[in-house]
Amino acid sequence: MSNLPISKCLMWLSASALALLVIVGVEPGIAFAATEHAETTANTFHNSKGAAFVFWAFAFASLGGSIFVITRSNMVTAVMGMVGTFFAIAGLYLMLYASFLAVMQVLVYAGAIMVLFVFVIMILNRPEDEPWAVQGVLGKGIAALGVLYLFKRLAGILWEVKDTHSLVVEKAKLNVEVVLNHADVALVQELQGLGIQLRDTARVCGESALAICRTYEFGTVEGVGYTLFSKYLFPFEAVSIVLLVAVVGAIAIARPPDDEEEADEAATKEAS
Amino acid sequence: MSIFYDLTVSHFLVLAAALFAVGIAGVLLRRNALIVMMSIELMLNAANITVLAFSRGFAGNDEAAYQGQAFALIVIAIAAAEAAVGLAIIVTVFRTRRHSDIDRLTMLKD
Repeated sequence: MSNLPISKCLMWLSASALALLVIVGVEPGIAFAATEHAETTANTFHNSKGAAFVFWAFAFASLGGSIFVITRSNMVTAVMGMVGTFFAIAGLYLMLYASFLAVMQVLVYAGAIMVLFVFVIMILNRPEDEPWAVQGVLGKGIAALGVLYLFKRLAGILWEVKDTHSLVVEKAKLNVEVVLNHADVALVQELQGLGIQLRDTARVCGESALAICRTYEFGTVEGVGYTLFSKYLFPFEAVSIVLLVAVVGAIAIARPPDDEEEADEAATKEAS
Repeated sequence: MSIFYDLTVSHFLVLAAALFAVGIAGVLLRRNALIVMMSIELMLNAANITVLAFSRGFAGNDEAAYQGQAFALIVIAIAAAEAAVGLAIIVTVFRTRRHSDIDRLTMLKD
């Protein structure tokens, strides 16, 4: 950051000040509605200050990392910023009780996709002449204003959303229904003795059925996997086909043409 | 400052909106194809945060609680496929043109 020119610093400072003005000052409706909403509603995610601190830390890390990514001219630096952003987003997934998705985020995004990007950067390895599509402070200022306006409109819509019930007090539970014989009273009593909750689900399974309500914690592998392999089996299989086609297509696109290969072979033969 | 301490689903949604706006800025303002692809990944992640936040905030006590998470998992898989194919296209373009500047790739337009 030592070679950052002062005009750039001034530009970013003014842009952030403008952002604050737009979000807080010019549109007081959002801010006021926000405080009213937060005071009146009791349905909050986490009521502890520690959870709030963790959320704001992840929020600033992800947002700062994403801005870092799109402002760097060095590609490797941008990719490293992207990895940090993905880790912060994985932390946000954890705060939303999506632990399986958080692990997938780290494995797939920060692990696989970013390594792929680094490989491609190593192959290309060419500094760009003019990284920005708009030139000058004026053009970038207009672009920043446009992005801020877009954010203001999106946030204005999304801030009005009110969650229906608190999930902190009572975790959402997935009901896995196992059909039992209605007459098998001994088994039912045994299961109840084991603490497995039973209920009559005649509306689902017909009149001759009982069901075991097995509870899963929200966002675990069991819960997501059960939904994915029962109700969403077809999309899951379709995604596997899409991945296969993508792998074959990527190899077919990226492999050099045959004549070039032959030319390379001829060149190596001549060299040897 | 209860707005800072009482986290609601809207906090996550507004953060996702900010990430999405930054991703759009990257797609529109940068000329390097790799940065553009990273911005697209960023927008997909913002959409994932939105899906998960809605899933968390509005999930009932049944199977629908996991619809959002199953959907987000499929989005991640599609993003991986998109990254593989897009990077292959970038490598091929770079091999023939010796640059990956999307503003100069106008052969189909001219």
